[in-house]
Amino acid sequence: MAITSKPLPAARVLEPPLARATTARGNPSQPPGWVGWAFLAPNLLGVLAFTLVPLLSVVGLSLTSWNLVSGLSGIEFVGLQNFVDLFVDPGFWNATLRTVLYAGISVPLTVVGGLGLALALNRDVPGRAVLRVIFFLPYIVTVVAIGMVWLMLLNPSAGVVNQLLGAFGLQDLPGWFASSHWALPALIIIAIWSGVGYASMIYLSALTDAPTQLYEAAQVDGAGAWTRFRTITWPSLVPTTVFLLVTLFIGASQGFGLIALITAGGPGDATTVVSYYMYQNGFQFYRFGYAAAIGMATFAGVLALTVLTWRAQRGRTLHD
Amino acid sequence: MAGQTTLSRRAVLGATAGAGLATLLSGCGGSPGPRSSALQVWGGVPGASGPDELVAGFEEQHPGEKVAYTRFVNDDRGNLKLDTALQGGVDIDVYFTYNSTAMALRAGSGVALDLTDRVRADPALAPYLDTQAPRATVVDGQMVALATAREPYFVLVNEALREQAGVDLPRAWDVDDFHEMARALTRPGVHGAYSVPDTARVSLGANYWYAPDGGSNFGDPAFLEWLQLGRTMIDEGSAYPWTEVLARQLAAYQQNPFLQGEFALWPTAPFNLRYLNEPEDYPHDFRVAAAPVPRTARGDWNAGQFNNFIMINPRSTKLDLAWEFVRYWVTDGARAMLGGGKIPALDVLPDEEVLAGVLKEDPERFFDVDSFRHAMFTSEPKLMTDTNLTAVPEISLAVEQQRDLCWIGERTPAEAVSTIDELADAAIRRNQRKA
Repeated sequence: MAITSKPLPAARVLEPPLARATTARGNPSQPPGWVGWAFLAPNLLGVLAFTLVPLLSVVGLSLTSWNLVSGLSGIEFVGLQNFVDLFVDPGFWNATLRTVLYAGISVPLTVVGGLGLALALNRDVPGRAVLRVIFFLPYIVTVVAIGMVWLMLLNPSAGVVNQLLGAFGLQDLPGWFASSHWALPALIIIAIWSGVGYASMIYLSALTDAPTQLYEAAQVDGAGAWTRFRTITWPSLVPTTVFLLVTLFIGASQGFGLIALITAGGPGDATTVVSYYMYQNGFQFYRFGYAAAIGMATFAGVLALTVLTWRAQRGRTLHD
Repeated sequence: MAGQTTLSRRAVLGATAGAGLATLLSGCGGSPGPRSSALQVWGGVPGASGPDELVAGFEEQHPGEKVAYTRFVNDDRGNLKLDTALQGGVDIDVYFTYNSTAMALRAGSGVALDLTDRVRADPALAPYLDTQAPRATVVDGQMVALATAREPYFVLVNEALREQAGVDLPRAWDVDDFHEMARALTRPGVHGAYSVPDTARVSLGANYWYAPDGGSNFGDPAFLEWLQLGRTMIDEGSAYPWTEVLARQLAAYQQNPFLQGEFALWPTAPFNLRYLNEPEDYPHDFRVAAAPVPRTARGDWNAGQFNNFIMINPRSTKLDLAWEFVRYWVTDGARAMLGGGKIPALDVLPDEEVLAGVLKEDPERFFDVDSFRHAMFTSEPKLMTDTNLTAVPEISLAVEQQRDLCWIGERTPAEAVSTIDELADAAIRRNQRKA
């Protein structure tokens, strides 16, 4: 008798799989239902304590004025005032614009670079395995090491990059982290450099799943390389691309480590993206309610963009 | 199913959420945790730089009492850790506050005991009652923090570079003299000065960010003059290029280019002397002299402050012992802190003993001792304590950001100071609205 042929228990009672199987077999020696929950409890508690409760706390906090030091008794309910303030806060909108620029440039370039690299490494080139490791390395290097190395490379007067640019005869070299015009582009370059290897690895794994019979059929039909890429490779990579766009954009919108380490949001506020603006308000100004409101606004923005991206890819994959 | 225990989804999730929330709230609720028998003291100075010796002295003077000193790093994260601990009910009896930002938060948030009556009752602590040159933080009439140290600023001078340039060591000078000397010391590979002293502070003294009506004071020409002087000196090369300061993150490591002879004049405070008398860790081949902070046409404030404020947690279960410890720190225990560059806030030690303690062993090898005696004591530096702490974190950030943009040449001093004025006014208004 197949277990699944048995009717499920009443809808309002949730029993873990173990308990359901026990009921189905009717074996009284099987452990009772709470045992399954006991196994789930550590993970469930972890998710609640470190994800759900903090998430709900942020929602509540965004409706308050609180400086932490005054304790719970110092929490003052202010309704939607933080969101009203946010709406007319030029600092927030400037930070949002910088975040859009930072993510909007770095993420597509990372994805395109990763795709190109994956296509190159998917061929039978000598030392392919070593090359894959080399390109992936920046992704696993700690942000502190990345920051320190790039700080030296991009030093305006003594850095290797400007010396190379100077050797090519370029005048008026970039000030990089010492210039409000170049600091954000410098961060974008670093983000692309450290993310391309990761994107290429994801693409490489997707390429191994590409349907070989379609390529064979296309070759028989006389399709060229570009046609094969356009009609077979790319459609099969669309879900991977969407995954990369969404996850990298979420990562970029939360980008904090490099900025805190290298520029602290400067010069001026040239690299103060939303996540750093939230940090400043929370942990430098101790405006935790306002920082929570910034977090909620960011969450809404990223969610909207994720949904849009997801919808945009529908009907464009190989399997649709 | 009869007799078998089943749990509804709602019951399980509800119970778990309740447990999670209870855990969270108990962590933030400030209910006292387990109490130690030892007095718990949190400070930012490493134990080996004085606090360990001070604690040993206190325990010797108070047989049977124990003190546990915990060091926190005095940066944003370290202060957040202390604030969280204070709110979370961690066993802390006495703690330190080192900057105006943290003081602004703690002084009015119920985590500082009112010390007024105890100070009034003790004649030895009478200087803390002085309102002309305050050494204590007073909020709403309550004295909540006592300065344990004074930090007179001075201008350190690379003696080798000064002698090469053939200029005299100043004993009394103004900002124009400073500018002229920096120019005289400038030559290929060497900038005259690291930066300019905070001349607005020198002109205006305590609470210089606030106008008499409580609003922003950045419309005062002193701020424009400060930014303008910095920009002029950077442009002409007599001050260190600010682009290098940003690119090499030198604000936190000013000692490195000074030790390497990249600039000759260094406006700073005694805590940086530690880099100048430890040749193994910080090798250099020149002696260092000190000049007083140059005065301006409008004032002669030193720009240094009474600092290192000691406070008592009102939740302490050992309030009397905590007060005994505070009193010991600012009086008999002050000697132990000299090695860490901490000059006592009260006049409890002879100047010569303080000088010897701050300059440490073999001072003549590293320093022009007489110049330090003059800069730190006989020139009688005018120190201060800020009493208006409105929107200090926001204003500090605005000043730093606009100073950077001005000194890297992207904004004019007038534009920079105008922006600071706007941002400061907005921050002050927002804080007043909250209050």
